[in-house]
Amino acid sequence: MQLIRLALKNIRGSGFRSIAIFLAVMSVAGFLLATTLIIAGAQYSLDSGLERLGADILVVPEGAEIKIETALLMGKPVDAWMPRENIQKVANIPGVEAVSPQIYLSSMFDSPCCAVSEMFIVVYDPETDFTIAPWLEKNLGRSLAKGEVIGGNYIFVPEGSQYIRLYGYDTDLVGNLEPTGTGMDQTLFMTLDTAVAMAESSRTTALMTLNIDPDVISTIMVKVAPEVDTHRVALQIREDTDGMVPVESPNLFGTFRNQMNGLLWGFFAITVIVWVVTMILIGILFSTVANERRREMAVLRAVGATRNFIFRSVLTEASLLGLGGAVIGIAFAASSLYIFKDMIAGSLKMPFLFPSIPSFISLFSAGVALAIVSIALSALIPALRLSRQELAIAMRE
Amino acid sequence: MLTFKNVTKSFRLDEENTITPVRNVSLEIEKGEFIVIIGRSGTGKTTLLNLAAGLVRPTSGQVTVGNSDLAEMTDKQISSLRSQKIGFVFQFPSLLPPLNVKDNVSLPAMFANGNGSKDPGKRAAQLLDTLGLASKMDVYPKQLSAGEQKRVIIARALINQPQLILADEPTSDLDNRTENEVMGILRDINSKGVTFLIVTHSLDLIAFATRAFEMENGNLKSITSAQSR
Repeated sequence: MQLIRLALKNIRGSGFRSIAIFLAVMSVAGFLLATTLIIAGAQYSLDSGLERLGADILVVPEGAEIKIETALLMGKPVDAWMPRENIQKVANIPGVEAVSPQIYLSSMFDSPCCAVSEMFIVVYDPETDFTIAPWLEKNLGRSLAKGEVIGGNYIFVPEGSQYIRLYGYDTDLVGNLEPTGTGMDQTLFMTLDTAVAMAESSRTTALMTLNIDPDVISTIMVKVAPEVDTHRVALQIREDTDGMVPVESPNLFGTFRNQMNGLLWGFFAITVIVWVVTMILIGILFSTVANERRREMAVLRAVGATRNFIFRSVLTEASLLGLGGAVIGIAFAASSLYIFKDMIAGSLKMPFLFPSIPSFISLFSAGVALAIVSIALSALIPALRLSRQELAIAMRE
Repeated sequence: MLTFKNVTKSFRLDEENTITPVRNVSLEIEKGEFIVIIGRSGTGKTTLLNLAAGLVRPTSGQVTVGNSDLAEMTDKQISSLRSQKIGFVFQFPSLLPPLNVKDNVSLPAMFANGNGSKDPGKRAAQLLDTLGLASKMDVYPKQLSAGEQKRVIIARALINQPQLILADEPTSDLDNRTENEVMGILRDINSKGVTFLIVTHSLDLIAFATRAFEMENGNLKSITSAQSR
């Protein structure tokens, strides 16, 4: 009979104690992983969103920073405009390698072509674009033709139709971008030609008319030249231009990131406190059980077990309970989070993207390792006491 | 086989009080002997047995098993000695509740480092069969009677083919018939050359002894020697 088999039999033989420890570890490990996954998922989502944005600096109309941030983050309607002539002003700033304008059109509520209730339309200039073009080049091998659109991960063609009808104009969805967990997943990208054709069509076929003013834009995407300090370029834009504000990519979603971090780290701190308290309680439980098992361990010593064996035996039992509880708890939390991720992200009003498989495996392993180490630490003192007890006294009890 | 030389064991209860259950005991037990030590409760019998097994260390004097002085051995060496050369029959119920009968009997083989039986499961089954418990191998201790539990403990003590068996009140809590049955088993084992040191309060067991002693206030007195069995 091996140490692990003996430990498993002891676990099975001590039903209530084992179930209590198992459930405690399962709940706390699951909760800890869930909060960590939500934090990691939100960060991953924001990072993916920024990567998708593909610009070093986003120049937005003064006063519209929050609105645009929210539009990009959550796909909320936005109404922000600035003169088209700003493009040249920004392009003239030293260190700017490329500029490309985008126009944000009003979101459409309850569109049948979107997995979520709202859709965000971004019009880009194919002549100057450097954000969507790399994806098109890689996946389509060409740029978008008039009437073609690409969508975020949540955009789809309505059942029974070949096109997405927008403002009475049929657009052809030629591809979907990878998920980001942000408002960009419910964004439809189209060229200015398509947007103009859609606006013209709306005048005769749509219930609501779409107007596109050729002299205004919503944002300017800026690419900074290699080896030039982005922050310095942003400061220059702020100094040399009026009525517009540069937002550096890493600072985009900054307000949200701070709010989210505050909230989630609060959650995390509570979970850690609960974890520590649980481990102390489990330690007390192990101590109580150790008192009950003094004679049993003395018998083991009398039939040949060393002190080291007794010590390892108690720690093995504890570690196995930790392992089982953590694996089940974490697996349950992760699968629940995966299944209900949209609902959770929606109710918390935050972007969320389930972490990549390697990240998830790392989190899973770290959670299980933490549980095993914590439980082993909880059982350390009882294990030492049992291994070093006075055998003659223990056998008389 | 087992020697006590001027062995004294004291336990310190607190700053002022000390008890000495074993006082200057000397005893030499030869291989194959069946020694019975009688005495009332609290006279130091169990402490003497614990000294023989190295479960406690003497305050003074020397305990040797074979050629090994227990005082000079490490915990690992004493544990190894216990698992390979000594079988223990406890006074109290000492079977592990989560293990079935067969696993309880096989347990000491786990600590014999390959020096015990090569197939502990098979040997456990043979021992249980010999002791009339073949049908109880898969049951758990709480499902056994007191006599059956005692027999399982004897089987466990024999699993590693020990040279010395230390038995503390092996027939306590047993009715007369079961007591005779258990003593018959122990005598059979002894006839195969295994040495026995039994401590008990039952005078009836003296009849089985090659030599018998009485323990009183920690001192050992010979009652009879080389008594025929």
